[in-house]
Amino acid sequence: MYTVQQTVSSPDLFDNLRLELRRGCLVLAVLAQLRVEHYGYALRKALADRGMAIDENTLYPLLRRLESQGLLVSEWREEDKRNKRFYRLSSHGQGVLDRLLEEWQSINSSLTRIVEAQAPKKG
Amino acid sequence: MELLNRYLHAVRFWLPKSQQEDIIAELGEDLRSQIEDREAALGRPLDEDGLAAILRERGNPMLVAARYLPQRSLIGPALFPVYQFILKLVIVWILPPIFILVVGPATILSGRDPSLALVHTVWTLLMAAVFAFGVITLIFAAMERYPHESMLKWDPRRLPRVPPAKAATRPQPVPGYMAIVELLAAIGASLLWLEVMWLRTSFDFNGVTIALAPIWRSFFWPILLVTLSGVPIGLMGWLRPWWMRARSCVRLAVDGVTLVLTGALVNMGPWVRVAAHNLPAAGMADANRWANVGTSIGLGGIAIITLVDAVQEARRLVQQRPVGNHAPVAVRR
Repeated sequence: MYTVQQTVSSPDLFDNLRLELRRGCLVLAVLAQLRVEHYGYALRKALADRGMAIDENTLYPLLRRLESQGLLVSEWREEDKRNKRFYRLSSHGQGVLDRLLEEWQSINSSLTRIVEAQAPKKG
Repeated sequence: MELLNRYLHAVRFWLPKSQQEDIIAELGEDLRSQIEDREAALGRPLDEDGLAAILRERGNPMLVAARYLPQRSLIGPALFPVYQFILKLVIVWILPPIFILVVGPATILSGRDPSLALVHTVWTLLMAAVFAFGVITLIFAAMERYPHESMLKWDPRRLPRVPPAKAATRPQPVPGYMAIVELLAAIGASLLWLEVMWLRTSFDFNGVTIALAPIWRSFFWPILLVTLSGVPIGLMGWLRPWWMRARSCVRLAVDGVTLVLTGALVNMGPWVRVAAHNLPAAGMADANRWANVGTSIGLGGIAIITLVDAVQEARRLVQQRPVGNHAPVAVRR
């Protein structure tokens, strides 16, 4: 007999799990979006417009980390009379993005097979 | 924009010096862009309340800066349970009995103002607990920073054998973390004994001096050897947990020596001398009597604990039999 232990309320539990799921996709989303050059604020808006809203306090440290790992390059430029830091994919980053996209497709296919296999039979 | 500058200055404070300019420039630019968008949406410049709302949404400056720093812990999840255990052991089970049985009675009964002496004793106990907390935390932080090779490289083939399911009363090897506790306790006790007997033999508490009687000097080396014996025992339990018989034999021998020493000490009182200025002779006599009663209770406690440990180790030795085959254990359904 299965017993259920619920220590976290359902809405909180769903929010935590949703956050974990989205957190796993952030790097891929940022790398994919930076196939075209963006500065930080514009990148955040572009991601939000496409349904991948990301907290500023998460995005900027992530960009710095990806740059330190050699996946991004950045430069300061003046635009609209203000200095802005523009990011784009490095050649190494492009290679990593391609492999991550393959991995993403593979995970997606596996999940689809699992979900379809476990779907209740309609009769 | 004065409020924005104050916010950026507050974030800068928590950032590493080498990255301050870069991070603050980018953070400031992002906030200015956000302010521009908000003003465009409202159709008017933002007032201070509006700006404060944006900054509040961004977050506390210290927390914002923390996101740029590497995420690390002083004592990680692997060591934390052992750290917690040792803290409890020292701060709850070792320090309070010493103060309640020896230091407290001596100080309170010999002080001119017992209530003040009580307050001073409690304060000294708190300070000792804080010191112990600091030392233990430093040791574990060092262990976290410089993990021993045995924690990172280990061979599953060197794990102790699982006793057969039928022999439910067979002794189990000491868990690794308990062996580490034994090791650290032995080192701590040895250092404490060295400090007590070698560097200082008396302690001052608010004008009251508690000195160890000269008989302790005769027992200096035997007691030091007994406390140091915990080091090889702890090392055995940590690095060679399957040496159960050898470990039990050593512990039994050490228990025997401890019982002999304790028995000898019990018959050689008084063990401490209390002295205080401007105290009547009757008060001094009371203080000495209570301090020595507390010490004799402590010695009696040590003898009882040692006897119980000796009995347990003797039982372990009797129950341990060499396991000669590797047949799989039957699983009851």
